Amino acid sequence: MSAVQYDKQLRSYLFLALCCSAILINIFGDYFTQFLLAEIIILSLFAMSLDFLAGRGGMISLGHAMFLGIGAYTTTILYIYLSIDPFLCSLITIIIGLILGYLIALIITKTHGIFFIMITLALGEMFHSWAFTNDSLGGSDGISGIARPDLLFMGLDLNEPLLFTYYLIVWLILSYLFLSAITDSPLGRNLDAIRQNSNRVLSLGGSVKFYKSASFGISSAIACLAGSLYAQLNGFVSPELSHWTVSGEGLIMIIVGGIGSLSGAILGAAVVHVLQHELSKLVDWWMLLMGGGFILIVLFMKDGLWGIILKFKNYIMEKIC
Amino acid sequence: MLITEILNALQFSMTLFLLSIGLTIVFGLMKIVNLAHGTLYMLGAYLGLSIWTFSNSFWLAFFFAPLATALIGAILYSCLFKFIQRVDPMRQVLLTFGLIYVGLDSVRLLWGSMSHSISAPELLSNSIQIVGETYPTYRLFVIFVGLFVLVVLYFLLEKSKMGAMVRASVDDHETTQMLGINTNKILFYSFSLGCGLAGLAGVTVAPIVGVEAGMDMEVLVLTLIVVVVGGPGSLKGALVGSLLIGFIDTFGKVFFPELALITMYAAMALILIFKPDGMYSKL
Amino acid sequence: MLMKLKNISKSFGANSVLNKININISKKQCYGIIGPNGAGKSTLFKIITGNLLQDEGNIYFKNNNIDKLSIEKRARLGISQSFQNNSLFNEMTVKENLMIACSQSLNIGWHFFKALDKRKNILDKTYKICEQIGLSQYYNHKSESLSYGLQRQLEVGLAIALHPKLLLLDEPTAGMSHLETKQIVSMIKKLSSSYTIIIVEHDMNVIYSVAKEIYVLDRGDLIFNGTPNQVKKSVLVNDRYTGIKK
Repeated sequence: MSAVQYDKQLRSYLFLALCCSAILINIFGDYFTQFLLAEIIILSLFAMSLDFLAGRGGMISLGHAMFLGIGAYTTTILYIYLSIDPFLCSLITIIIGLILGYLIALIITKTHGIFFIMITLALGEMFHSWAFTNDSLGGSDGISGIARPDLLFMGLDLNEPLLFTYYLIVWLILSYLFLSAITDSPLGRNLDAIRQNSNRVLSLGGSVKFYKSASFGISSAIACLAGSLYAQLNGFVSPELSHWTVSGEGLIMIIVGGIGSLSGAILGAAVVHVLQHELSKLVDWWMLLMGGGFILIVLFMKDGLWGIILKFKNYIMEKIC
Repeated sequence: MLITEILNALQFSMTLFLLSIGLTIVFGLMKIVNLAHGTLYMLGAYLGLSIWTFSNSFWLAFFFAPLATALIGAILYSCLFKFIQRVDPMRQVLLTFGLIYVGLDSVRLLWGSMSHSISAPELLSNSIQIVGETYPTYRLFVIFVGLFVLVVLYFLLEKSKMGAMVRASVDDHETTQMLGINTNKILFYSFSLGCGLAGLAGVTVAPIVGVEAGMDMEVLVLTLIVVVVGGPGSLKGALVGSLLIGFIDTFGKVFFPELALITMYAAMALILIFKPDGMYSKL
Repeated sequence: MLMKLKNISKSFGANSVLNKININISKKQCYGIIGPNGAGKSTLFKIITGNLLQDEGNIYFKNNNIDKLSIEKRARLGISQSFQNNSLFNEMTVKENLMIACSQSLNIGWHFFKALDKRKNILDKTYKICEQIGLSQYYNHKSESLSYGLQRQLEVGLAIALHPKLLLLDEPTAGMSHLETKQIVSMIKKLSSSYTIIIVEHDMNVIYSVAKEIYVLDRGDLIFNGTPNQVKKSVLVNDRYTGIKK
């Protein structure tokens, strides 16, 4: 499966640009803009987790929204029934995602790429159905009453949209740095190698199963984090968070951004979410447009927006030299 | 009660079979999965609905809806799939994912978001006695349709020249091409047939489950599990997989209603641990 | 004794591809396996590396039975292969290809965080191998931009990156021009002083010039085992292999 070319420099610069933009928008935006920005940041986390899995593992998961659900519901249960501070809840969900993702991956990474897609789709749907019908999880109504972390001892009230968005930006930066470091580490480079030619990695002595399972675990951990933060943003969780369309949107985001670019995923998340937000206000049949646009991008824009930025950068470099 | 449940399971298995056989053969031939297969099932039901509403005849709907879906499949193949062969397989699959969105909204645009239903024909609207239990005739009809298709496909695949070409193409696409066989035509017909069978499944079960916009995904998941478990490209795999999943799902819901999905997942996981390519894979 | 194949047999359906093959690899030299097409040479390699499981017989590596070991475990023990059809990482440069190979020597715990291309020991190893296979000037070139002959050299480079105990070369000169073949042959000759090599080849001249001991396969049977001179003179081999009656 193809991914964008490895370009650490461009990736870092793009992230820096996006980060600064986010901070500026947060400062100057109104309440609604800040909320939209917060959603975009959480979706960026989700998109990065998918991008990492696809670009560095060659695995496409069509059921990753289930980890959003797991993160969100776990946070809800831990907070409401055990009164654990939401910040700690987020940390716990990261660990749960890591372990659960690793265990699931041990079984399903044996399968070939397309099988993998089918199985993850099936798993995601199963989780969604289970959450939808399970009354102890609130059934189709979901559960409400999740608060945000208590930082009053620092003089910060995270109920203020401005501050909570900053809180999310911090998580985004930490996650990006983490995923970026892994991408450059031997694990990440080997994952890329596996994507290109997994048999060769095996015959060189690399444990493909471990690498793939580790990357799936890492990806699930970040997705669970996104789910946890989402529950805190909205104050409630519903099974719709794990609907297949959410996994689908995540996929659209990373294709638009350019698979494997990591910071491109953030850009993709922003573009797709804003588009979807605006389109759904204009027409009823926005899904048709999204689907159609998605098909066109898959066919004609192999490297997504990253590809365009890269071409632009090369053009500028040529002009300079 | 037991007989009823067994027959229900069998009926569900036959529906899954109609859906999975198209998907698995296409996977064997083109090495891609058409994730929009459930959409075609849904279209079959909706097209059947329109034909039935218009003509008041179930049999017309039953006959023409699958043909219409096969036609849609043919158009999809000619316009889209033939040209995306140059993109790598994973992206082709993503493309079919985009089609799900397109399909869902198209259906909503054309038919609205409400649920509908088709009535079974007079001939099959009663029930008959089987071993002391009463069972709806229509459901027996569904089982019959599935078995009929199974037998026809068996003879087509195993005993006819066309079938041999299809099987050769699944085993080794390039060599088959080099033998002068027009594999493109084989793909075209197989794909259209697969779509037609999905449509047939849709219109056939419409009197039982109704016609609504979400029906594509509900059935897609189980169909995918059948293909994964049975092994792609294999008729036997589709049959055994459908029976397995059909029975586990039906009896799971009866005995452990809360755990039905977990049982399914556990079964799938177990099979994959021992046979990562499915039971009768032709990969 | 480095590696021993004992009574290895393999069939595909009714087709018996290998029939009670016995091979002993003990010296640090270059061994050759030759035979007409369909003799079972590739199958033999696949069984040694773990890509295929034999129907009967055992494989011993350094006196340990490795029948049940997976491909990567055997590679870690020191069995390395270069493939007949180039198996490279196409999107990566020569340097990155070799880095991936060298990184397999890292223990799992060290796999996280510090960037691969910042690790001095890996970079040093990578550069050394690059020099050894004669690709120093292509260090930062993308592997897919190299000519076929150079790609074959990189292919061998990947196989020797971890200083394997046993190096399997599967038709290393396949599809090469005369000049490219000469380069590969001189590279193999240099390698055979440091590694134990088994080479499968069709080109008899290559085999005669590098191999010290040759096994001859024909239709699944091991029909001869000896030095190149003995093979050249053997009536049996000439009859079965080249069809030349002396």
